[in-house]
Amino acid sequence: MGADAGGGPMPHPLAGLKVVEVAEDIGGEFAAMLLGQMGAAVTKLEPPQGSPTRRVGPFAGANAGPDTSLTFWFYNANKQSAVADLATAAGMATLRRLLAEADVFVSTLQPARLAALGLDLATLTEEFPKLIVLSITAFGLTGPWVDYKSSDLVALAAGGPLISCGYDDHSIPPIRPGGNQGYHTATSFAQIGVMLALLERQKTGRGQLVDVSMHEGCAVNVELANPYWFYPKVNVQRQTCRHAQPSPTQPALFRCADDRFVYFALILADPKPWAALVAWMESKGMAAQLSEPEFSDLAYRQGRFHEVQELVECFFLVQTAEEAYKDGQAAGLPIGVLNAPEDLFSDEHLQARGFFTQVEHEGIGPVTYPGPIYRFSSFGQAPRVRAPNLGEHTAQVLGGSGERPAGALAEVSQ
Amino acid sequence: MGVGACATRLLGDFGAEVIRIEDRNRLDMPRRLPIYKGEARTYGEEDANPDPNKGGLFNNYNRNKLGVTINMRSPKGRELAERLIASSSVVTENFAPGVMERWGLTYERLQKLRSDVIYARMSGFGHSGPHAEYRSYGPVVQAVSGLSHISGLPGEEPSGWGLSYMDNEAAFFNSSALLTAIYHRNLTGQGAEIDVSAVEAGINLLGPVLLDVSVNGRSTRGSDFPTGNRLEHPDAAPHGVYPCAGDDRWIAIAVFNDEEWRGLTAAMGDPDWTVEPQFASQAARFGNQDALDARMAAWTRDKDRHELMHRLQAQGVAAGAVQTAQDTNDHDPQIASRGLFFEMDHPVIGEARFEGTPIKFSQTVQENWRSAPLLGEDNEYVFKTLLGMDEDEYAALDAEGVF
Repeated sequence: MGADAGGGPMPHPLAGLKVVEVAEDIGGEFAAMLLGQMGAAVTKLEPPQGSPTRRVGPFAGANAGPDTSLTFWFYNANKQSAVADLATAAGMATLRRLLAEADVFVSTLQPARLAALGLDLATLTEEFPKLIVLSITAFGLTGPWVDYKSSDLVALAAGGPLISCGYDDHSIPPIRPGGNQGYHTATSFAQIGVMLALLERQKTGRGQLVDVSMHEGCAVNVELANPYWFYPKVNVQRQTCRHAQPSPTQPALFRCADDRFVYFALILADPKPWAALVAWMESKGMAAQLSEPEFSDLAYRQGRFHEVQELVECFFLVQTAEEAYKDGQAAGLPIGVLNAPEDLFSDEHLQARGFFTQVEHEGIGPVTYPGPIYRFSSFGQAPRVRAPNLGEHTAQVLGGSGERPAGALAEVSQ
Repeated sequence: MGVGACATRLLGDFGAEVIRIEDRNRLDMPRRLPIYKGEARTYGEEDANPDPNKGGLFNNYNRNKLGVTINMRSPKGRELAERLIASSSVVTENFAPGVMERWGLTYERLQKLRSDVIYARMSGFGHSGPHAEYRSYGPVVQAVSGLSHISGLPGEEPSGWGLSYMDNEAAFFNSSALLTAIYHRNLTGQGAEIDVSAVEAGINLLGPVLLDVSVNGRSTRGSDFPTGNRLEHPDAAPHGVYPCAGDDRWIAIAVFNDEEWRGLTAAMGDPDWTVEPQFASQAARFGNQDALDARMAAWTRDKDRHELMHRLQAQGVAAGAVQTAQDTNDHDPQIASRGLFFEMDHPVIGEARFEGTPIKFSQTVQENWRSAPLLGEDNEYVFKTLLGMDEDEYAALDAEGVF
């Protein structure tokens, strides 16, 4: 299909929208970035010392500093940075001036912080009737835990995903899945929330307050754990790198000759994948007794499950993970290689789709970033532009009448 | 299996008329999985002949939708699907690539039926490239995108994910892609084909470690990565999941700075060990996490996880009981106060609970008007009332097995 992989001359659906961001965590930063990538002009207001995420590593090279945080880079592309200290009257005046012209205000401030700054989000939507206030906080803007502190680990724990993740051995605590997924969950719902609000505004002309709770986002991002509680009223039990279930299932990680792993759920009950597996093993001369006719009987092979499991373990041990992945898929089996991040850049499929994108960083050169999450045939995502240095656009944003300088949009979409 | 249904659930929740097309002869997986009231079975233990209207997972994914059955292997069935498409403005699918094409349902064909159609294609690998037809479901997507590899204890096999996280996340991003395409169409009158690869969405969720690799060339295959519940960045400590009173009961605690450390030690009653030099600064605590975690676990081991969470939060420490679905559903006052979960009746299942939307809108309203449709429940309404099919044609198609 001809869907665009980012770039190109296609229109950006949110072009012309102005977003003001006051975000102190990556959930809000990621959400505003996604709006920027759809063409909105995003102004990130930061305190003089910069967003807290600028102090989080890893850093580019050996130089730790506000402009070299890779955490900041990852979540803050396609934005302008202006310094405005909201603890001062001048800073607050800047915010209000920007909000008067803005379409979306992204805030991650919890209610106690808002109150300390004298900001009331509901009032803002009355004062600026077209404004959509997108609040993305740990627990939402209401409720008894409203000012509790959170973090990615705490959100995944209290929201429910964490108890499903870890190892078969339950003397080991549940293990947090990597990559900030509590915050990412909040971001994905924020994206939905703001788009629903923009659609509503297309109809009514009015903005509104959109209150996203990371805690609740996690609580509905547990997949089977909820229906298993809704219906049979059981809690699922975690297992090593495979679905938490009401009762134990067989291991699904197989070590390969190159010490990498593949994920493969060995399901005996379904005759088609069973036949495909045996044929695949035969093609490598490793089916052994599994080719014998009695193994085509389900009860027979179920009774010899451990024998089957051992043969499959041996089968994977003599091939590389990449080989097992491609040959297994060719045999029609849903098998996945456990790629490390460094494996992805040379993946033939991702290369053919032109997925990764290069972004120029002065003094460093081109940096490889992930490409777009979604591709559209008739409009596109703005090309990725590196995250701004701290206060890089302060003069433009604060200068003059407060109108966005003509060059600002062009710069973002270059 | 849940991606498409979960993505359109959101649209149905917020007012779209969503019509789910199913095949009577090839039941949707969530209709078959044995997630039933009163029976606790793993999802591998399917019924040979399941009641398609009894499955809880299907109910969970398909509330607020209409449901019809069409036999897509019959030419009349495909013709009927085209009539339905012509009267709709958005079409979504998450078959393996090639299936819709075999039925002739390309974007070009859909545009002929409805010029401004939005056609959302949701698949594991996307609709181009050499692996486009690879089979996938959540765990495969999580493996291939790198999300499994970056999760686990150092030097151990990956612990990865205990759920199809990427089925859900791909669905959520597909929802926002659909909403974006609708927004664009409202502005321009122009439709779109959408191609979302769950693997590519997953790579976007790897987080900053991806840049550590691409910028700094760091290896993630050493014995020092991944780091279990500890962070590499920033130097949080303690940062872990500690045992509490009860079977498999835990609390997550995350301390990022001296102020939070003082809150933690105050909650502990300032025991002597907390002033040892090895714990004297954030950097020292970060460097001595083995010793620190042993102290922490000894302290938390006999305590109630919720009581401890509240005690620590009162001192300004980020702490969360590790909650089960039972906890979040039945014992979480924060979730209860916001009314996240809700109930609706279902003709076969009876009263059932549903996952709400974790967003509160001051204007936009979520309308929950029905639980999931029974198999083919809305055939008559959709084909006769919405498409205007007359009684004779309906009866003839029904007799021919088109539904």
